[in-house]
Amino acid sequence: MSESIKSGIEQFKDNICGLKDSLTKSYLRAGIPTSDMSRSALMVNNFFLHIQGAKTHINTLRPTYTFGMGLIAFYLFLITSVSGALVMIFYNPSIENAYSTVKDLNYVVFAGRLMRNVHKWSGEGMIVFVLLHMARVLYTNSYKRGREFNWLIGIILLVLTFVLNLTGYMLPWDQLSYWALVIVSNIIQSPKELTDILGLTKFINIGGMQKEFFLAGTVPGAATLNRVYFLHIMLLPIIITTFIGVHFWRIRKDGGLTKPDNFTTSDNTDKGNLTMPVKTGGIFTTNKTYGLMTMSKGGSPAVDKDVENTVLSWPNLAIAEASVFILSLAAVIGYSLFVDAPLKEAANALIPENPAKAPWYFLGLQEMVSYSAFMGSIVIPSLSVLGLALIPYLDRDQRDAGIWFSGDAGKKVAIKTLIVGSVCLVGMLAFVVNFGWFRNWWPSIGQIWILLINPANLWLLFVCAWSIWIIKSTGSTRMGAIALFTMFLVSYLILTYVGTELRGPNWEFFWSKSQWPIH
Amino acid sequence: MQSRFYASLLLISALILLALVSYAGLRELNPEWKTYQTEYKRLFQKNASSPDMKKKAEEYAVGVRQIYLKDLNKVDRCDICHAGLENPLMAKEKVPYKQHSGAYLKDHPITRFGCTICHLGQGNATNKKEAHAEGHETFWDFPILPLKHIQSSCTQCHDMDFLSKHGGEVVVEGKKLFDEKGCRGCHKLNGNGGSLGKALDGVGSQPIHYFPMRYVDGERTQPSWLKQHFDDPRKVVPESIMKVKMTSEEAEKLTTYILSIRTVDPPKAFRNFNYVPVVAKDGHALFNMYCVACHADGKLSAFDENLKGTIPAIENTAFLKNADNKFLEMVITEGRKGTPMTSWQKTSAGLSDVEIKNIVSYIAEQRTETGKPVSANLKAGDKEAGKEIFNIRCALCHGDKGQGGLGLNLSNQAVKKADDQYLFKTIRDGRTTTPMPPFGSDGLGLTDQQIVNVISYIKTF
Repeated sequence: MSESIKSGIEQFKDNICGLKDSLTKSYLRAGIPTSDMSRSALMVNNFFLHIQGAKTHINTLRPTYTFGMGLIAFYLFLITSVSGALVMIFYNPSIENAYSTVKDLNYVVFAGRLMRNVHKWSGEGMIVFVLLHMARVLYTNSYKRGREFNWLIGIILLVLTFVLNLTGYMLPWDQLSYWALVIVSNIIQSPKELTDILGLTKFINIGGMQKEFFLAGTVPGAATLNRVYFLHIMLLPIIITTFIGVHFWRIRKDGGLTKPDNFTTSDNTDKGNLTMPVKTGGIFTTNKTYGLMTMSKGGSPAVDKDVENTVLSWPNLAIAEASVFILSLAAVIGYSLFVDAPLKEAANALIPENPAKAPWYFLGLQEMVSYSAFMGSIVIPSLSVLGLALIPYLDRDQRDAGIWFSGDAGKKVAIKTLIVGSVCLVGMLAFVVNFGWFRNWWPSIGQIWILLINPANLWLLFVCAWSIWIIKSTGSTRMGAIALFTMFLVSYLILTYVGTELRGPNWEFFWSKSQWPIH
Repeated sequence: MQSRFYASLLLISALILLALVSYAGLRELNPEWKTYQTEYKRLFQKNASSPDMKKKAEEYAVGVRQIYLKDLNKVDRCDICHAGLENPLMAKEKVPYKQHSGAYLKDHPITRFGCTICHLGQGNATNKKEAHAEGHETFWDFPILPLKHIQSSCTQCHDMDFLSKHGGEVVVEGKKLFDEKGCRGCHKLNGNGGSLGKALDGVGSQPIHYFPMRYVDGERTQPSWLKQHFDDPRKVVPESIMKVKMTSEEAEKLTTYILSIRTVDPPKAFRNFNYVPVVAKDGHALFNMYCVACHADGKLSAFDENLKGTIPAIENTAFLKNADNKFLEMVITEGRKGTPMTSWQKTSAGLSDVEIKNIVSYIAEQRTETGKPVSANLKAGDKEAGKEIFNIRCALCHGDKGQGGLGLNLSNQAVKKADDQYLFKTIRDGRTTTPMPPFGSDGLGLTDQQIVNVISYIKTF
């Protein structure tokens, strides 16, 4: 009897010794994941992991299927959020102190320069990877079968990524920030071009009102900085976090990532990289699909082969995600160690930057703005975003989901579009650079003609015509979607390159920065 | 059990991450300034002889340093590398360990004035490249001031009179050159001066982007721009019409002075000026200040390539004997429209009436004789007859509409307002030492009436 009842001190002693186990057990409800059961339970019970299924399809884990690009974009968001919080500790959003606090970050804060670089580059990296992720989703035909709305949310996330980057660009209050603010506020003001032509500006100056709303005045100043800061650290992060949550939730609800209908492990080229499912044993019978939260919509639940091709998410998915995270972190830190985020002279309203450029990701827009402010900054971007957003609704061909380019035909269309698009766009730009446009030929021409007929509009028409021609000639809306998106990518890349590298003072053409008139 | 691909990716990434973070940590823990401070400590210990100093050297802690300047509301971190600035034991060491030269720090406590108020550069930077801010890629408006021009900073708080006796000789001499080379003939400063060139107010504190550096050799800084611009204006600014003649040393001194013309005032408590009442300068000084750049000694009139016109010889006796003081005063006050000669009155180039009178009397000192009186009736001019003569005899040099060429521009206020006696005498007697020959009966044979006709035609321009 004395053996079975321990004294209080002994119990206490045992509790101390068993601290590790009891902590683990309290954290992992189902204990250390040693069995399939406990591995599944780990996924389901964990707040952060439960948005993913207990089992994951092998195709999802194929590195060459997703290239992890959406995940990388998300991790860059996490990295930029954390480093942003660190930068925020030192930054002071006032025009007196903003610049010097950023300088202090560079000079005296321990690892401050690295912190700021990481924040900057992971933020800009998001743009790259959001676009790449979007390309992956489009080319693998993954915006179908219930995922149409998630594509729309993805477009919203793309726009938010741009705006977050832009607002961050304006905070150091150096020459780049100041003149980017000027440029962007002028872009915002551009509906004035239309109201000027219509003679309405004196009655209702929409552009002017938009500009004043953004700048909190007519020129960038203290109130602007306050406003942009609020957007950058509070409003936009809240919105983007919400939409990221919805985006992930819908991935799960829409049945996970797409996979080819006739997926088999035998013809899987990435076979060596994956764990093959164990078909016997475990807690799952082979004839049933488990959606542990709910049944997924769209796919039929009772398909044997689906469950055949799944593996347990813990540890297969977990280790894949962890490795991509560490890779992203290492890449961002590595890049940040050797490339400094730009910081120019303190903002000076009397010394215009020439050329005054928006941040690089908007220079494609600025190139089009140089043809026509209203078309380049409002109409064409809006139409592009609208066109991208409508892709899943205009291409409702449900075949070949989860296959890169939907097979060889799509690959051919993509390559053909890439070549035709590049050649035609470069040709058109070369024409504009060499011969100018209406204003150079007929200096007194009405602005309405330039607004209606300018290279940007012609290009948009060409892109639409090409996509429709592809639909007509291939008889497939899916091919049209590939053509349209490829054209979008080509235009974004080439225009951004031209705006960034080939445009110098007075927005004139230069083959390289080294030819700019030295100042 | 796990996929080998992701496991190895995780492992490799983790190793790379570890290496990068260690590298970052090492780099952060060993900044550039630490090397300098360590070396400073070694030298300090080596040079310390008394036990007291030895103890101090021993106690010197390597770490971040900055001087907070209350009056200027900024920090200077220069002593993070220049650690021995106030240490007499370091007088013989090399920069950056060296003690500050001279006794400047005694009168200008570093804790109150800091460094960048005199030396410029980026005070809050903690590495050499960005602190000195030389070169455009450092993105700082005011790179460190070369020591040869350091005196340009003294004028922020001290007047020239004080500086001439207390170690500000270079900038004082620069100022003298500025006054004697006629710079104000074209450049306004504090509202005084011509308007052919740019106004010079605040030029010394203008950011580097105000200076087009395309044709500047060597270091692309404000001082090199100014120096090379004084050596050869058209090398730095090809379209420049600036006339300048000075030795290389003079150009350096003038550069120092120009750099001292700043708009950013130091706090009131720092400024130490003895204000002296402004007195009108004598005619000679004023002539040097405003006129000499174009008119030189005023003896020869010559066509100037850059101004694209002939500069009249205003101290030429042949001119002075026919031009009375009233005429001279009128020309200086009104200027000569259509020529580079500006109006010098208070409301334009900023000279007071007294100063103009002083200049006139200085010029008039050269007048040794007065011209022959005019006997003809100056009212009886015939414009048409005058036009005929003008087109044959005068248009070659003065242009068919009097717009000037080899000869002076006649279509301006000064000629319109000039009294007819002066014009008559000039045409009759010519201008010795200039291409203008005497047209009178003793010279090229125009009768008095013909000259009167020409004058009446000239007045119509």
